[in-house]
Amino acid sequence: MTEEFDDKLDSAARQLATEISPERDLWPGIAEAITTPQRSRWTPMLAQAAAIVMLVGASSAVTYIATKNDGGPIVSVAPELVFEQAAFGSNYHLGPGFQDARNSLRAELDVELSRLSLEAREDIRANLNLIHQAIVDINTALEQEPDNVLLQQKLLRAYREELTLLRRVGGLTRNVMRRNDI
Amino acid sequence: MAALLTVTSSDYSRDMISDPQQSVADEQAWIRQAQRADARAFEALYRLHVDKIYGLCLRMTGNVSEAEDCTQEAFIQAWKKMTKFRGDSAFSTWLHRIAVNAVLGRIRKSKREQDRMVAVTDVYQPRLATGDSGEMRDLAEAIDRLPEKARHVFVLHAVYGYSHDEAAKMLGIAAGTSKAQVHRARRLLAQQLEEQGFEA
Repeated sequence: MTEEFDDKLDSAARQLATEISPERDLWPGIAEAITTPQRSRWTPMLAQAAAIVMLVGASSAVTYIATKNDGGPIVSVAPELVFEQAAFGSNYHLGPGFQDARNSLRAELDVELSRLSLEAREDIRANLNLIHQAIVDINTALEQEPDNVLLQQKLLRAYREELTLLRRVGGLTRNVMRRNDI
Repeated sequence: MAALLTVTSSDYSRDMISDPQQSVADEQAWIRQAQRADARAFEALYRLHVDKIYGLCLRMTGNVSEAEDCTQEAFIQAWKKMTKFRGDSAFSTWLHRIAVNAVLGRIRKSKREQDRMVAVTDVYQPRLATGDSGEMRDLAEAIDRLPEKARHVFVLHAVYGYSHDEAAKMLGIAAGTSKAQVHRARRLLAQQLEEQGFEA
């Protein structure tokens, strides 16, 4: 193991071929990978993720609006809606109690909004639109996976967010709503 | 250049490029085209560099099928990163770095899977078509038998001429580790080759 041997070894190594032709043409596989269009990745899981992002954004915006409006008509929120922990079957729907509360709040919405500034009204409408879009997306995903409990829970949460937003705007109060209303 | 890009892919053969200056000009044009998502220009770059990249992958993996996969992966990654190539280094050097990453990534993946897979190399080891002959083939085969880390550093440093700093950066190790691995590789190669009467 001498320095002379190392020199010879290095010299020999530098003479090894550095360019070697593959035995087959590798381009077709590369071409297929780089030219095949990406498939649509709109999956139920991504629908959930999108819905969550929109809901978080909407909630944050509502909080911002509620805190920046001093003296406005937004009042404290009544006791939180309570939904029992549930595992839904393939049939699920909003109960009549929930629908009544929602309809009532929506009927009041225009009146309440008229008391707010234009900027606040636009913000609230934009946030409601976000929540409604989330509900549409989740329902689209549920059409493919009607028994997906996670999606059902997300749908419930979206409706709850909508109701919370309506109540914040209107300042209406409601007693605890139980899960069996849905 | 524009006219060249309208011809069939077979016209991108490396054999067309005989003038080194013309070769550089063509490569620069192909790079710019490929950065604008021109797959045909990228194919020209592939034809120009595939032997260098495949050679590196083959020397580093010591396995034909692994080298083919790594070469394809390297070019796919290069296509995805084309817009990030700024020309700070030669395009071939940039490709080399991507190829080394492809080899290292494949090895990491193989290690994750080795517990549940039978190593193909234990069953069938295809003879490497490296073009080496005689004692050079003995040396090449001895390099293939080196432990993985020692082989990687030796190939980059001794065969491809990268400095210890450059090899270490490509492999994500310290320069001192690179030197130690080359020293280890030399000792192991000496043991193997002296038994075969190697005369460098």
